[in-house]
Amino acid sequence: MSAVLELSRMSVALPLGGFLSRARLPILMDVSLSVGRGESVALVGESGSGKTTLARAVMGLQAVSGGSIALDGQAVEGAAGHARLRRDAAMMFQDATASLSPRLTVGYLVTEPFRIHGVALPDPEGMARELLAKVGLPPAMARRYPHELSGGQARRVGVARALALKPRLVIADEPTAGLDVSVQAEVLNLMADLRAEMGLAYLIITHNLALVRHVADRVVVLYLGRVVEEGPTAQVFAAPAHPYTASLIAAEPRPDPRQRRMDLAIRGEVPSVLRRPSGCEFHTRCPMAREMCRTTAPTLAPIGAGRQARCHFADQNKDQQGEQHAVEHR
Amino acid sequence: MSVLSVEGLSVSYRVPGGRLQAVRDVSLSVGRGEVLGIMGESGCGKSTLAAAMIGLLPQGAEVAAGAIRLNGTDMLRLPGEEQRRLRGQRIAMVFQDPMTAFNPVLTIGRQLADFVGAHGGGKGAAEIAGMLERVGIPDPGRCLGRYPHELSGGMRQRVAIAAALLMQPDVLIADEPTTALDVTMEAQIIHLLRDLRTSFDGAIVVVTHHLGVIAELCDRVAVMYAGEVVEEAGVDALFHDPRHPYTRALLSCDPAVVMPGSGHLPTIGGRIPDLTALPAGCAFAARCGMAEAGCGAPVPRHRGAGRSVLCHRSAA
Ligand SMILES: Nc1ncnc2c1ncn2[C@@H]1O[C@H](COP(=O)(O)OP(=O)(O)OP(=O)(O)O)[C@@H](O)[C@H]1O
Ligand SMILES: Nc1ncnc2c1ncn2[C@@H]1O[C@H](COP(=O)(O)OP(=O)(O)OP(=O)(O)O)[C@@H](O)[C@H]1O
Ligand code: SF4
Ligand code: SF4
Ligand SMILES: [Mg+2]
Ligand SMILES: [Mg+2]
Repeated sequence: MSAVLELSRMSVALPLGGFLSRARLPILMDVSLSVGRGESVALVGESGSGKTTLARAVMGLQAVSGGSIALDGQAVEGAAGHARLRRDAAMMFQDATASLSPRLTVGYLVTEPFRIHGVALPDPEGMARELLAKVGLPPAMARRYPHELSGGQARRVGVARALALKPRLVIADEPTAGLDVSVQAEVLNLMADLRAEMGLAYLIITHNLALVRHVADRVVVLYLGRVVEEGPTAQVFAAPAHPYTASLIAAEPRPDPRQRRMDLAIRGEVPSVLRRPSGCEFHTRCPMAREMCRTTAPTLAPIGAGRQARCHFADQNKDQQGEQHAVEHR
Repeated sequence: MSVLSVEGLSVSYRVPGGRLQAVRDVSLSVGRGEVLGIMGESGCGKSTLAAAMIGLLPQGAEVAAGAIRLNGTDMLRLPGEEQRRLRGQRIAMVFQDPMTAFNPVLTIGRQLADFVGAHGGGKGAAEIAGMLERVGIPDPGRCLGRYPHELSGGMRQRVAIAAALLMQPDVLIADEPTTALDVTMEAQIIHLLRDLRTSFDGAIVVVTHHLGVIAELCDRVAVMYAGEVVEEAGVDALFHDPRHPYTRALLSCDPAVVMPGSGHLPTIGGRIPDLTALPAGCAFAARCGMAEAGCGAPVPRHRGAGRSVLCHRSAA
């Protein structure tokens, strides 16, 4: 059975502008990724790693410079292809309140996708009520305006809107950013329920690893626009094979003062895409870097069932991290 | 002795419907070398309390009662000019979005020099560069020549912290200092603030809704709900032996605490009450699993060793 969404070696390069108007800045490089039916995949990486660019490219809001996108096994090409994709795949934006037009009521906003896609809607009010109910909001909410909503409510309206056309895939950019933990939990529960009810598949973009652990079956890690690790969430968290993944996990603040991290998991910043390091692009920050890493670029290689990593020492790392994890959790 | 203490502080905002009670009868103190955390859901009054501490309350806000003591002196009783001067010199603040603290058209070096001129007295470029180095800016000389938008969010936050420290304040207040950053920058800022606790001889107050930041960084924690401090305790006690039902509920629904694969996450349900029409009894009653009829009466504060709890049914 074909995946709902399949990206093969997708690349995005942005024009640099100025004199060198033909020069292009590679933002995403050869990214392959698939989301199966009803599957939930998380895309993680630091700020600037290319997560939003990937989502925009999938939605046709950003031109790709290489590779292909397929929906249900059918190549997505041209305007018609992306129009089809935007019906079957819905996007939840990072800033829920700002992405809702301030002068439109909630009732209008949740049914707007029908109008955008020219789908006849005999009973818009009834549909608005139904969609709001699905995300746990009372019918009276239909008359409110976006600025009259709490952050969690605005996020729910964003979900209702995304669900309007019964998509099979939802792309959610930081779905819980800026929400209180209690509301975060509500939104995550809602996403899980909808997945169970409607067989929705998710591509979740985030740097909140707690969120990834709770909702994702698989995780894809990006660094400087390349996939550096991919695998089933539980396995990747228990035994990360790429030092970058291990660093991200270790950097997460722990909600337990008895487990404070005294050393710094990862130093420095992501290098600029204008000055990509030679060899392994992570070598400037990698705690395990060796001589060969500065000159020889590792490839994304399989390391056991369903896992891949882009590191010369991926197998060793995975075994070591796994042992350490086992000791800590004994 | 505590450097900064707040006693019985109440702050309200004038709003169309009447008075919105954002901070209610809050008493807290923080000493040298100590990090005090203030946590709670959005709208509970954390930023209002922080703004009151530094004397930066917005228009429409009014201090209805209480004292704010800096090294023992009640600043609210000082004449306006002197109050501003003392606060300008002794209390520094770092905000969630460091971009708002900078002027976009001036270089970092120029802004820091102006800032130091206005607040810290004659410090030279070398001292400024030294401070940038201390907060972990790799090439301070180069950073001084840059404009704010040329720095990443994490770097801007470091510069904001450096600016605050150049004043040699007694108190550094940080309102959501890592909320706009990703996980690696957040970890780096936590480490920086933690190092400062020992190297800078002042008190640090951190406001955040992120429990991980509280646990990693703070010594003592005040949990706010609907304008009140409902629980105050040492950080270990707060995370391992929370007493107030609200604290317990917050800890139990954090996805970072709950084991993955445990199905539905717990939620608190409901919202914080309307702060213009608060009940006479416990403000958390409508959402509390332990509520009973008696909770409608004014709530007593129980005090125990190093902690206090505002609840009819929980002991300190
Ligand atoms: N319009 C643009 N012009 C030039 N560079 C851009 C543009 N949009 C994005 N970039 C660059 O592309 C890279 C990836 O950006 P993107 O927004 O996809 O990252 P992200 O992973 O979503 O980050 P965040 O976590 O901060 O949202 C960054 O280096 C960014 O500076
Ligand atoms: N300038 C203002 N005028 C009127 N009401 C205000 C003003 N600023 C804040 N409030 C209200 O005061 C209450 C407390 O707000 P405050 O910003 O202190 O909360 P907070 O705990 O910092 O929340 P957050 O986590 O969202 O930053 C809220 O109900 C808020 O709507
Ligand atoms: S290839 Fe070398 S530098 Fe790159 S991640 Fe692996 S160990 Fe680190
Ligand atoms: S006073 Fe009553 S309602 Fe309030 S927190 Fe305590 S038990 Fe719950
Ligand atoms: Mg993004
Ligand atoms: Mg605030």
